[in-house]
Amino acid sequence: MTSSHNQAGRTYAIEFGGAMVAYAVVLIIAITVLNANPHGAWRPFVAVAPVIPAIFGVLAFVRFLRRMDELQRRIQLEALGLSFAATAILTFAYGFLEFVGFPAVNFVWVFPVMIMIWGLGLAVAARRYA
Amino acid sequence: MRNKLHVLRAERGWSQAELADHLGVSRQTINALETGKYDPSLPLAFRISRLFQQPIEAIFQDDESGR
Repeated sequence: MTSSHNQAGRTYAIEFGGAMVAYAVVLIIAITVLNANPHGAWRPFVAVAPVIPAIFGVLAFVRFLRRMDELQRRIQLEALGLSFAATAILTFAYGFLEFVGFPAVNFVWVFPVMIMIWGLGLAVAARRYA
Repeated sequence: MRNKLHVLRAERGWSQAELADHLGVSRQTINALETGKYDPSLPLAFRISRLFQQPIEAIFQDDESGR
């Protein structure tokens, strides 16, 4: 018997996986094009092109969140809340450290930090209900 | 919240996964309900009540019921 819950997970895996594959492909193409063409007013548009498939990945997650059952949605909320707070504090603190000479870190690293803490938060939140 | 969900499930010979399928939730939710670590929303409580054909108060007892 295929539950709606399992079906939601499968749909998410397909949609999100597809978005990530598209992201990787667009990223490789963008980097290749930018390296081959060091000048041009169009370069910023190519540079941000990988964001478009990433947006589809986010939309896939939002759809998954809506299909989740109530406990799993609560676990996600707790994990996302933890990630939001921890990422805010970490990036804020590191911003102060940059004032005293720590190396500047590109914004692109904020999202992976957020994702890592979200993953940790999921494990912590799920254990509370296990 | 205390409940007799696992008793009702055992009476029907259902696994947690099977009960989860009947209610349209995950097995994780059934486990959390049975161990009292999670209280169902009102719509879910009514679905449980309809499935087992018992009133909600007969299945779930909150600490203030005094019974």
